[in-house]
Amino acid sequence: METQHFSYDNKIVKYFAYATILWGVVGMLVGLLAALQLALPIFNFKLAYTTFGRIRPIHTNAVIFAFVGNGIFTAVYYSLQRLLKTRMFSDKLSWVHFWGWQAIIVSAAITFVLGITTSKEYAELEWPIDIAITIIWVIFGWNMFGTILRRRADHLYVSIWFYIATFVTVAVLHIGNSIELPYSWMHSYPVYAGVQDALVQWWYGHNAVAFFLTTPYLGLMYYFLPKAANRPIYSYRLSIIHFWALIFLYIWAGPHHLLYTALPDWAQSLGVAFSIMLIAPSWGGMFNGLLTLRGAWDKVRDSATLKFMVVAVTAYGMSTFEGPMMSLKWVNSLTHYTDWTIAHVHIGALGWNGFLTFGMLYYLFPKMWKTKLYSEKLANTHFWLGTLGMIFYALPLYWGAVVQTLMWKEFTSDGFLAYPNFLETVTQIVPMYHARVLGGALYFIGLFLMVYNLLKTATKGSFVDNEKASAPALHSNPKRESGEGLHRWLERRPVQFMILATVAILIGGAFEIIPTYLIKSNIPTIDSVKPYTPLELQGRDIYIREGCNTCHSQMVRPFRSETERYGEYSKAGEFVYDHPHLWGSKRTGPDLAREGVPGGKMYKTNVWHYNHLLDPQKMNAQSIMPAYPWLIKDDLDISSTPAKIRAMTALGVPYDKEPYPANYDKIANDDLKKQAIEITEDLKKSGVDVTSDKEIIAVIAYLKRLGKDISTKK
Amino acid sequence: MDNKDKFLEENEHLMSDHDYDGIRELNNPMPTWWRYLFYLSIIFAAVYMFRYHVFGDDLQIDEYNKEMALAEANKPKQAFDENNLSILSDAASLDAGKVIYSKNCIACHGKAGEGNAIGPNLTDKYWLNGGGVAEVYHIIKVGKPLKGMLAWQHQLSPEQMLQVTSYVLSLQGSNPPNGKAPQGELVE
Repeated sequence: METQHFSYDNKIVKYFAYATILWGVVGMLVGLLAALQLALPIFNFKLAYTTFGRIRPIHTNAVIFAFVGNGIFTAVYYSLQRLLKTRMFSDKLSWVHFWGWQAIIVSAAITFVLGITTSKEYAELEWPIDIAITIIWVIFGWNMFGTILRRRADHLYVSIWFYIATFVTVAVLHIGNSIELPYSWMHSYPVYAGVQDALVQWWYGHNAVAFFLTTPYLGLMYYFLPKAANRPIYSYRLSIIHFWALIFLYIWAGPHHLLYTALPDWAQSLGVAFSIMLIAPSWGGMFNGLLTLRGAWDKVRDSATLKFMVVAVTAYGMSTFEGPMMSLKWVNSLTHYTDWTIAHVHIGALGWNGFLTFGMLYYLFPKMWKTKLYSEKLANTHFWLGTLGMIFYALPLYWGAVVQTLMWKEFTSDGFLAYPNFLETVTQIVPMYHARVLGGALYFIGLFLMVYNLLKTATKGSFVDNEKASAPALHSNPKRESGEGLHRWLERRPVQFMILATVAILIGGAFEIIPTYLIKSNIPTIDSVKPYTPLELQGRDIYIREGCNTCHSQMVRPFRSETERYGEYSKAGEFVYDHPHLWGSKRTGPDLAREGVPGGKMYKTNVWHYNHLLDPQKMNAQSIMPAYPWLIKDDLDISSTPAKIRAMTALGVPYDKEPYPANYDKIANDDLKKQAIEITEDLKKSGVDVTSDKEIIAVIAYLKRLGKDISTKK
Repeated sequence: MDNKDKFLEENEHLMSDHDYDGIRELNNPMPTWWRYLFYLSIIFAAVYMFRYHVFGDDLQIDEYNKEMALAEANKPKQAFDENNLSILSDAASLDAGKVIYSKNCIACHGKAGEGNAIGPNLTDKYWLNGGGVAEVYHIIKVGKPLKGMLAWQHQLSPEQMLQVTSYVLSLQGSNPPNGKAPQGELVE
């Protein structure tokens, strides 16, 4: 067989690695700001651009898609070429991918600061950027598949199985969850409403964790861990079983984000059952990683790279046990909406993704710059700072979550809530928010040491853009050879492999989402539930713009402790006109689903809302809610009303049926103004002088609508 | 590095012929306990689905209804008949009423019941919602939320509501300074 000479593209790897570092610093810095804001509300700066509701999605998206995203591409571009003994398929595609992805990140940061968001967690980007993501992701897949098809190694290694599953599934998830109807150049409504929107969102959200934060990083681990330890993979068979089990089962578990909500019971139960079945497949990855280190533990002591990897894999094992436990309904009834979830995801993000990325970078820089790491000692310090940071981050939040959830649920012997005032339960855990800032700061200092260390390493070494390599040409026989295992054969057939993986990941989602459309009884309609008025619709969009759903849920679960605090539990039929749903996933403030029920436990007057949005601390000195003074200054943009009404009508909201007059979009603003004047006049009676064309009027109108429909039924 | 060599030698019989960029793979069987963990979780999942969706164990709304029924059954027995109320006049009850008033009512009705921008004067003979013990008790209990009066039944027990009712009525004619102008109807 003739030997062929070629070169690996190291330059693209270098660029992705630098991008990983840069966005890691940015994303974690924004995270620190978010943490500070929860501890001390003055850090919201009373500025629209810097309130927590806008900062939080910048943090999550930057860490997931910018830091980890570039981490994935660093790993794929480095390992794929070497595992397949070929250069990337197309340098041009590589660079379009690189710059395209960075442009998406920058556009994300800008639009979030401006309050342009869909409200759907980890899918907050609006439709033009969604399209850009799709195009760049396809370019990435094309480049990857082109490389696979041109390979000089017959079999695909387990890392590449994970990369393929990642590519296919993220494409399916992203497109599936982002189907939306634009009503302007930067805004849209999702085609799904209420329960279905929630189900699709968490099918996406859960599997973004699975196929963006987990599977590609398992691929990364399978390459860099044995490389750094110079040890063989513990069990080939285990990798086959845990790979297929993981990708098949993961897709089903999304509903565990919606336990005890208005989601049909059967879907919730599937979420529980499949989450429990995920423990072993997840641990399969952890153990294949840890057992690969057998006989190499002495190296772990000396190598920061391996230390980071060991803790990363252990953190992975911890969160993949904790996750299924939190999916048990009784555990979930305690942990959901609390900081437990925040602590849980940070074990995953700081431990698994962060530490594995650091381990990879400490391995890659000396390798690619052909030198030794500038300082092992600094890397070790980074390791300990990072580990301490994680502990100081997570423990206070776990503790705070337990305290708060027990306070929410405690009743006096007279049968009243022991802490009827939600704020009392927040004040109690604010010290934990302070401690969390400390943890985050430690972790960040560690990161900074790494940046310094790696830059020093780079200046010390010499970088080769195109690394020379050679390998024999590949002559692959597509037929299964006698004695060749079925999976061994499949590993030589990338197209078949991809098709099979696609089938595996499509089953769960289809089984859970389709029936909610076909079975009428899954979402029983409620006659008294009516579409929002134009003013309320505008107010709702401001609620979304300001990210109110980041801290306020709109989903009263069927527990005595919640119905006593908020009012009647939420029903599926209430949300049929909610494009998108705003159920929320965290209660930093109280639930708002029953905010507008006249005579309800949460009911507030117009003037209360006005003063509260203007300056929450003036009403409750201990409140940690940001102030929204610009809502009072800024005029409501009503030019968008007709387009919004038309979009909603197209999505099935009956603005085109009785009692609405024909062509309602054209006259909707008349109704809007009328309602705004009513609210303004009521405010005037309470001594508040504000004109009816301000944004705050729309927000108040929306808040007063929440839960009103089902209360008028009686 | 003879440590490394020893390890590889010991595992030589498990070594597959796979070699990916220098990464080798061992043919270790899947750990037994891992397999059993997987089987167990599958059994758990099957039992779980059957329990709730075939054998009909309580789903969340049934669970909720039971929780509420239990709370109802455990509610402290009411010591008096709400349809036949009479004012408490003993000092202990009035003191208790005053404590409840100071904690909850002064923001809107003033320290001495004189009223302010939000709530009416409670010391004159004019009432917006009736001035008898039954009417005052009722308005405290269910409130008038659209006007800003809360429904206190969610935070006060019936005894406490009667205590504060009695205290409020004891303020009649006290004529505190800065009394708000009369609102509502004269009740003699």
